Amino acid sequence: MTTSRREWIQSLCGGLGSVGLLGSLASQSAKAASLGHYTGPAIAAKAKHVIFLFLTGGPSQLDMFDPKPILAKYAGQRPAAVSGFRTERETGGLLPSPFQFKKYGRNGVDVSELCPQIASVIDDVCVIKSMYTFNPTHTQGKNLAHSGSILANRPSIGAWVTYGLGTENENLPSFVVLSPNTEGSSLWRAGFLPSEYQGVPFNSSETDPEKMIRDLRNRQLDPQAQRKQLDLIQAMNRDYSDSFGPDSFLDGRVKAMESAYRVQFEAMDVFDVRKESDAIREEYGKNSWGNSCLLARRLVERGVRYIHLYPSGAPDPIVRPDWDDHKNIFTSLQTRCPNMDQAAGTLIRDLKRRGLLDETLVVWGGEFGRTPVSEAGDGRDHNPYGYTMCLAGGGVKGGMAYGATDEFGFRAVENRVSIHDLHATILHLLGMDHEKLTYRYAGRDFRLTDVYGEVVKDIIA
Amino acid sequence: MRPWVYSSVLILAGMAHTAMAQAPAAAGEELFEQKIRPVLVAKCYACHSSQLKAPMGGLTMDTKAGLAAGGARGAEVVPGKPSESRLLRALSYTDNNLQMPPSGKLADSVIANFRQWIELGAPDPRKDAVTAGGARTPLKGMSIADGRKWWSFQPVKELPAPVVKNTTWPRTKLDAFILSKLEENKLKPAPEADKRILVERAYLDLAGIKPTYTQVQAFVKDSGPNAYTKLIEELLASPRYGERWGRRWLDVARYAEDNSTSEATNPPFAFAWRYRDWVIEAMNKDVPYDKFIKLQLAADLIPGTPRDDYRALGYLGAAPVYHKEPRLSQEVLYTFATDDWDERVDAVGRGLLGLTISCARCHDHKFDPIKQTDYQGLAGVFASTMRAERPTRADIDPKLETRYLWVQQRLFDINVMAGILANEKQTNKEWAAKKLEGMKIEQQKLLAEVQTLKDRYPELVAHVAKIGTRSAPLPVALQADTNAATPGTAVGRPGRRGPTASDEPFMNSVYDAALYVDGKDPFMTEMDYRPGEARDLPLFKAGNVANPGDIVPRHFPTVLAKSEEESKFLQGSGRAELGDKIFSDAAPLAARVIVNRVWDWHFGKPLVGTPSDFGTQGDKPTHPELLDDLAARFIANGWSLKWLHREIMLSSAYRQSSAPREEAEQVDSTNKLVWRMNPRRLDIEAYRDSIMHASGTLSDKLYGPSIDFDDADNNRRTVYARISRGRLNTVLRLYDFPDPMQSSPGRDLTTTPLQQLFVMNSPFIQKQAEAFAHSVDQEPDNPAKIRKLFETILLRDPSPKELDLGMTYLSQSTLAQYAQALLSLNEVIFWP
Repeated sequence: MTTSRREWIQSLCGGLGSVGLLGSLASQSAKAASLGHYTGPAIAAKAKHVIFLFLTGGPSQLDMFDPKPILAKYAGQRPAAVSGFRTERETGGLLPSPFQFKKYGRNGVDVSELCPQIASVIDDVCVIKSMYTFNPTHTQGKNLAHSGSILANRPSIGAWVTYGLGTENENLPSFVVLSPNTEGSSLWRAGFLPSEYQGVPFNSSETDPEKMIRDLRNRQLDPQAQRKQLDLIQAMNRDYSDSFGPDSFLDGRVKAMESAYRVQFEAMDVFDVRKESDAIREEYGKNSWGNSCLLARRLVERGVRYIHLYPSGAPDPIVRPDWDDHKNIFTSLQTRCPNMDQAAGTLIRDLKRRGLLDETLVVWGGEFGRTPVSEAGDGRDHNPYGYTMCLAGGGVKGGMAYGATDEFGFRAVENRVSIHDLHATILHLLGMDHEKLTYRYAGRDFRLTDVYGEVVKDIIA
Repeated sequence: MRPWVYSSVLILAGMAHTAMAQAPAAAGEELFEQKIRPVLVAKCYACHSSQLKAPMGGLTMDTKAGLAAGGARGAEVVPGKPSESRLLRALSYTDNNLQMPPSGKLADSVIANFRQWIELGAPDPRKDAVTAGGARTPLKGMSIADGRKWWSFQPVKELPAPVVKNTTWPRTKLDAFILSKLEENKLKPAPEADKRILVERAYLDLAGIKPTYTQVQAFVKDSGPNAYTKLIEELLASPRYGERWGRRWLDVARYAEDNSTSEATNPPFAFAWRYRDWVIEAMNKDVPYDKFIKLQLAADLIPGTPRDDYRALGYLGAAPVYHKEPRLSQEVLYTFATDDWDERVDAVGRGLLGLTISCARCHDHKFDPIKQTDYQGLAGVFASTMRAERPTRADIDPKLETRYLWVQQRLFDINVMAGILANEKQTNKEWAAKKLEGMKIEQQKLLAEVQTLKDRYPELVAHVAKIGTRSAPLPVALQADTNAATPGTAVGRPGRRGPTASDEPFMNSVYDAALYVDGKDPFMTEMDYRPGEARDLPLFKAGNVANPGDIVPRHFPTVLAKSEEESKFLQGSGRAELGDKIFSDAAPLAARVIVNRVWDWHFGKPLVGTPSDFGTQGDKPTHPELLDDLAARFIANGWSLKWLHREIMLSSAYRQSSAPREEAEQVDSTNKLVWRMNPRRLDIEAYRDSIMHASGTLSDKLYGPSIDFDDADNNRRTVYARISRGRLNTVLRLYDFPDPMQSSPGRDLTTTPLQQLFVMNSPFIQKQAEAFAHSVDQEPDNPAKIRKLFETILLRDPSPKELDLGMTYLSQSTLAQYAQALLSLNEVIFWP
């Protein structure tokens, strides 16, 4: 049934168009690529796509990837080494993690019992334990994580990447955002880059594509009737073009309307995770995390360049939906981690199974991590000074723990990786020199990494 | 990328350079600045810059010395000998191993420019910083002395109209400047556009809506000599003009009604719409541009300003603000405060002066003659200016008002801080209890003080009682008496953190108060506003607030100031003096910048390609004399924008057809010479408004609180749609509405498939199509209906073929579906 439906749609695109121009447009490969603007030196790279799993609020590295047994020894105390630390909110003594850590994979990488699925694919994961960033608040931290600047007006990394590399599928946006909160956000903005590079948000709290994408379906016309209407429009458009003469806007809009017509069906197909087998859906998990990760894989298969996920929601409403655990952190993590872990682990496993992991970089992390000292007795405060992010695929070494925090897990001390270094590395993995991916605006050349950033060569396979 | 191939011959040839360059023709230098340098910047610097650690092929082209020396493969340019110049070979793409730029061959006309420039001896007027053998040196900006000679800072004066061969074409003075350049390039201007096109063009330009068929017919039939002039005058007198041009200004003013996050300390601007209305009204009244700006900077400081004009202060009062969580350290919050000030410096710098002053925040400007002290001298003005919700009423004693504004803000801050303490599990309970108790005492004292205003100013008391209700609810412990009467009501549905317009009698405005960030309490950082006080900021080394240097007095940028002594701001924050200086010392620059913007908005292409950057990194004007003459006459005509519209729209240049012409395109593919009108896509405002106008659903009500763009009942012009920084409406975003976090230099209009989904499928378009179809219910039959629909939306009759297509379509579809097809046509969104 599905194949015949696709064939039928194709026949609508190609067959009914009585106008020659339309026929040739419609028969174009759906995978038409658009050019990128990166003009720097070519860097041999494996990654073509990025899936960024963003854990809004700042997940606790100390309970997932960065074990610090010493916290138990000083539980409730604030030894001299950490006494002078200024946290955002008022904090008390050290708070040990109650979760068991084990070493996984060929190189024995630490993972806690909260993340058994990620642990099972750890040989494909590089755990960077020495991340640091420059601001302890959410807004500025998220801006840094997305754009390398604390300001809320700079282009998002997804916009930079698609600006640099173009897209592989013009029928779909090149920078897709899957978020339950779709009404615009500074996090996926194009800033001063041309607006076509802004992230296009899709509502990931829905599974029905019609509800995810604004105006995707025509509620009055079936595809055939709509095709007829479009044929009328395009016939008149063509006559208008003939009378006006060659014009790039007039030509461009004729093509854009044809693309839009196809997008309706392509998106109805691509964005519908319900078209996957039940087994796969169960493997990812039938929840916001599972659906988003599965959808991300489907989008990568269709050539979408950059996908930014903000899965949200905890299975239990008494737990806050994001990772900003100022209080009650342990129960919250226990409630929230299983869906995240299952989806993230499955995503890596599934991409590998399909031979897509080499060309797809998966990034996991939030705007910062959390403090080893307690807030309100059973919570952890924001910690931008040392936290963990994970990378998988896309030419990154697997089974690797990189860098380290101090003995209490407060500051990154060994092989420190700043947010700019991470951005530089992501661009490098995609084949771009972060110093050469520039855009001229307001009198100067801007970069994602501003004047900072060193590629972390040690983690590249 | 293809390798640059080694050639020893060219190394020898390059040695001739020095001798040849002794006699650089002025024409060659001008050619370099106009045609060569921009290409080098855009196409070559990315890989061949002295700023790079390892420029490709060892070649640097961003310095005179680097270009003269050539790269690892030898000389690139042999002056006087294009055929021997490696550069030209690379550009011409004739050698498979030597093709530059790698992104694709440049236009033949561009390559011809390079050939001509090399023939002229390849003069390179650039002045390099002193370097040792082209080594990487830190960039140093232009000196103040050199800066004073920069083109855009020079006085403007009226210039004689150039002599042209075709003396019948020019209508207004600017035509002579345009025609002279066209004739120089052996190009003819385009014939005048059809009258139907002309009337549509003028309506869209000045009113932002298409005319009706009747209006088109009336104009087409009016063969009087003044028909067109009359049309322009009518449009300039229409209130629709202010809605159209007010919105243009709001792009530059980065107008919006909330902040990107809108958290506890930076809630939405519920009264920002009053600023938008003021802008529309000011445009309609043709308030002179200098006064228009001065009011936006300092209405409250200019003696004799009517209270109504205080609405202008929304330019600063609704500017983006970052959230300042009191639990953060003094250093962090101080940095956020400097981010706020930086935004104002940038808005004034790029928006009003066309200068990237903001680049000098952490160090002297790397290219322009702007010192870090100049930056800080302006930032101090905004560190001495505090946003406030000021009452609209005029009969309030200024001292009393200032005190009230301070109390209002302090109560707001106490509410936020108390809210944090109340919602947090305390570790340091003793400190928290003491803090809360102190705040409670202070709050009650201040509330008691506010109560004394109850009889004379009941709305002020009511307003204070509402503090907290728009953002975090007032903590129970601190609940004030909220029984006071509340004039006005909140309008519109309150979105989650979205802006909600209110028609209570207040304005988002500013007043003079210095802001200090108080870090005395290590657990809670407080904002310390000092009304009536101004503060000079220290120089922050590398932009770091923790590393302050000498105090910098507030002052106007040195390079623009007539004299250094008189550049200081001494009265209050200095906002009024800033406005004065912009229109005295920097008047030529300010005039050039706005004239260029207005030109851009009329022609769809500016004279200076970078409308917010008239510094060394910006483009040079395509018609420098025209820009200067127009700017000089704009000032002489009292900075009247309506004068400028007439001057431009009555010209022959403006009335040209936009039809493509192959022979002209070959000479000037981007129409820099204005050999035709630029055909354009409508912006979202004109598009939506014109569709609704045709469908008969558009309200002509002026002014008022904003309404959600997507609201099913929204029948207002798009300029009245709510503008959110945090949650910008999807359709606005899809149609290239500028990001209101920063002053916009202009919109880049794109064409994408997702835009078309709105046209094909949205409930909006379906509703308009149905209304449009209903509007022809009275017509007797389908041919008549088709004709009427054509007249209404396309302002013309259908051709027999179109009529035929329509009849065929209607045999199987509804009239509404047909109406939607018409609304979706290229012809509707195209602006020829």
